[in-house]
Amino acid sequence: MTGVLVLPDVALAPMLPILITLLGAIAATVLGFFLPRRAVAIIALVSLVLSAVSMFTLWNRGQTAFGGSLQADNAAIALGVVLLIGSALAVLVSLDTAGRSRLNFPEFDAILMFAVTGTLIIAFSGDLITMLIGLEVMSLSGYVLATLQDSRESEESGLKYFLLGATGSAILIYGIALVYGATGSFGFAGIAAASSGLSVSNMPMLVAGALLLLCGFGFKVALAPFHQWTPDVYGGAPTVVSLFLSTVVKVGAFAGLLRVFSGALHNAPNWLDVLAVLTAATLIVGNLAALFQTNFKRLLAYSAVAQTGFLALTLLGTPELGGPALAYYLLIYTLTTAAALAVVAALQRTEAGLEIADMRGLYYRHPGYASALAICLASLAGLPPFAGFFAKYMAFQAAFQNGYSWVAVLAALSSIAAFIYYMRVAALMFMPDRTPAREYEGARPAITFSVALGVVSITALGILPNLAYAWVAFPGIWTQLAGT
Amino acid sequence: MIHFFIFIPMIASLLLLATPVRWREEVAGFAAALTLGLGLLMWRGGGADLVSVPWIQALGVTYSVALDGVSLLLALVTALMTFVAIIYTARRIPNPGTMLSLILAMETGLLGIYAARDFVLFYVFFEDALIPALLMLAVYGKTHRMAALIKFGAYTLLGSMLMLVSIIGVKALGGSPTFALADLIAHPVTGAAQMWLYLGFLAAMAVKLPLFPLHAWLPDFHEQNHDSGVADVMGTLYKVGAYGLFRFGMTLFPDASLELRPVLMSLAAFTAIYAAWIAFRQTDWKRLLAYAGLSHMGLVGLGIFSLEPTAMIGAIYLLAFQNVYTGALFLAAGMLQERVGSLNTKVGGLMTQAPILSGVTMSLWFASIAVPGLAGFIGEFSILLGAYQIYPWLAFIAGLSTIAAAVYALSAYQTTYWQARPPGGVKVFDLQHTEWLVLGVPLAVCVVFGVYSAPALNLIQPVVRALLGGGQ
Repeated sequence: MTGVLVLPDVALAPMLPILITLLGAIAATVLGFFLPRRAVAIIALVSLVLSAVSMFTLWNRGQTAFGGSLQADNAAIALGVVLLIGSALAVLVSLDTAGRSRLNFPEFDAILMFAVTGTLIIAFSGDLITMLIGLEVMSLSGYVLATLQDSRESEESGLKYFLLGATGSAILIYGIALVYGATGSFGFAGIAAASSGLSVSNMPMLVAGALLLLCGFGFKVALAPFHQWTPDVYGGAPTVVSLFLSTVVKVGAFAGLLRVFSGALHNAPNWLDVLAVLTAATLIVGNLAALFQTNFKRLLAYSAVAQTGFLALTLLGTPELGGPALAYYLLIYTLTTAAALAVVAALQRTEAGLEIADMRGLYYRHPGYASALAICLASLAGLPPFAGFFAKYMAFQAAFQNGYSWVAVLAALSSIAAFIYYMRVAALMFMPDRTPAREYEGARPAITFSVALGVVSITALGILPNLAYAWVAFPGIWTQLAGT
Repeated sequence: MIHFFIFIPMIASLLLLATPVRWREEVAGFAAALTLGLGLLMWRGGGADLVSVPWIQALGVTYSVALDGVSLLLALVTALMTFVAIIYTARRIPNPGTMLSLILAMETGLLGIYAARDFVLFYVFFEDALIPALLMLAVYGKTHRMAALIKFGAYTLLGSMLMLVSIIGVKALGGSPTFALADLIAHPVTGAAQMWLYLGFLAAMAVKLPLFPLHAWLPDFHEQNHDSGVADVMGTLYKVGAYGLFRFGMTLFPDASLELRPVLMSLAAFTAIYAAWIAFRQTDWKRLLAYAGLSHMGLVGLGIFSLEPTAMIGAIYLLAFQNVYTGALFLAAGMLQERVGSLNTKVGGLMTQAPILSGVTMSLWFASIAVPGLAGFIGEFSILLGAYQIYPWLAFIAGLSTIAAAVYALSAYQTTYWQARPPGGVKVFDLQHTEWLVLGVPLAVCVVFGVYSAPALNLIQPVVRALLGGGQ
């Protein structure tokens, strides 16, 4: 039968969300020569919305393309929507701040859209190679975004991100090679099938591959001890880029983590315990380090590390309980972090963000922004009635019910440190202060809109979590992560 | 009706933000009065039966609320003292919009705590009350409030986070389909796991009881709050630990409660006497009141932990009415501060210039030190009577605190209200306008329920008896 050309299983429908963002990226690249940056940003926003619309049409259809290499199942769509929301918020914030941040050129939107395309590929991936391509597209765009601003901080941040990110990718690729060697398959379904009935001789290779993959992903999502780049990158990059990196790129990396570990390697041994240790370390390191920050943007960077720990708790649970918890947590995390960083972007005078000491009395100078930021911080700290509470509760529950009660207790205790550093800032904003304002004054309609969107969403989802949770609560979505 | 009762304050709190400045006091007062009125109506109707609807079906979280006798009594006291606090806020604090809004927001949290019959819902209301309490301290506190704030927040979170894990554990290990209290009781956790889960729950409740050694946040919290004492009233109402232990602790963890009884009763008795001892050394009225309240809560804890019907009835009675007189005393301290500009206990000579304020304050103190004929006596006496049947020695030690109470209260009272007014001191004016109401209503409640306790006891007794009948 040699010589017969077998046409690949090309189905356009399940690729549509990715293709639309890709088209948006290409349009931004090409039209950037002819249109002002604002118009390009609007085009990017439109393509994000269209991509979301196409996702809704794919809901509950379970379509695949390329013989399962790309799967538009409900898990992919749920995570994809979160990715698009985060991206849209980042573009909205950039509308108001790009000028001040010296990022006001169309390449910013082009690269951002390429990164979004990469993250979507990860979420929709059905085998390791697709996942890796998505991850590399996302990471490379991320390095460029971090370096895009013409400043020493930005260059330093981008270089650090590149060096450590490349190391992470290398480890990840080596892990992929070992997993392929052990199971003979790149497809998640194939790996899942092979790893449930592996002969003993292959087992060490699979375990080594899985652990290398975990380290690689550890770099990407900033699990301790692979988190060292995070504060410098998030703190040094322009705030709008930090917003994008700490929401969309992190969600993308978690999508990969979920696909590979809760899907493909679900039956592989040992990785759960290692992940539990990494999670515990992340919770401790992230929360304790954040206690000692004096710059609010850097504090949010460490808080992003700590939140990674809480997010990773969901992966310790069974997919039936951990999957929906992760999706819900990622949505809330994206909305909250984006809104908090948007407030920083709105008020900052330089890209260093806000010093915590300067935030004293913010409520009396900018009541709206300060209240919104306080709500975000309360949500991040996990206080009801804001959505962060149920997210945290679901994460604790997922870990607890799968036998990792010690990690849940540790997470509970480290939450106290988290509460202290969030609350210190929040309380400071409400303390009366008579010194002159140090914030940027000027119109910021797009930021105000995105902050309002974030705050209203986390309040509404805190009171009625079912608005989002009911969509993802079906266990069937999460037990089929590897595809069939 | 129960839903309106719980959520009217919260709605009013949000409404206040949009109300014109000059109407805010009236709107807040009306909302608080309406809540109190609804509560009294429900009292006439015999409480509110269980209402349960699924909240997050996939997780088994329900919105279940009910008000039986114990809950109703405590909720009524909360509504009453909130109303009183709002009246005094309107008089005392200039441009009080934010404070009124926070008080009302906190009231919803507190009423929700008493009404909740779902473990997660209980947690949500428990934490809901925390945010306004923190904001009151942040916005209206004194110089060193940041430290007090962090202490208060960290202690509360330490407890409530462990409680959250234990809430998850109760359902996961017991195999209950939902978090509704009735379901959880039907699917009990047994053995060693119950003990661990109880300890997690106890952490939260011990912070909010408060119980030695988790009480350290309390004096700083009260000292650093606004001089008027309004925030302290709400803080006093927030001491819901004893209720939580009564409602969830004993029903879900009966074996662990029994096993830990000697330890917990000892801690409670020690808290009572230790706090009274420290109160004697205080020279700031608010710190003194904080320790006095702590001492009373030690007695409440003694009653709750004893698992003995008489003592538990007394504990609930004392819990309810100490909220009234301790709250009113905080407001009286606020009035003192307004007049002489200091909360020091060595001001001297107020009686000659403000006899009515001094007299009412003294009467409230009498309620606090359990003089027969006032509400404090019935509670303390029942607790000691009941506790004596379990551990006579602990009852004796805790009983000493009532003597100590007379010592610290009366000696501080003497140096503030009696003795001579220092030369050059400002002229002190007596009770004015609504201040009559602010101190008069709580005092009237203390007198009425000190003389005629049946209405309150009729609310408490059936619940306690039913609980102990089923629990042991």
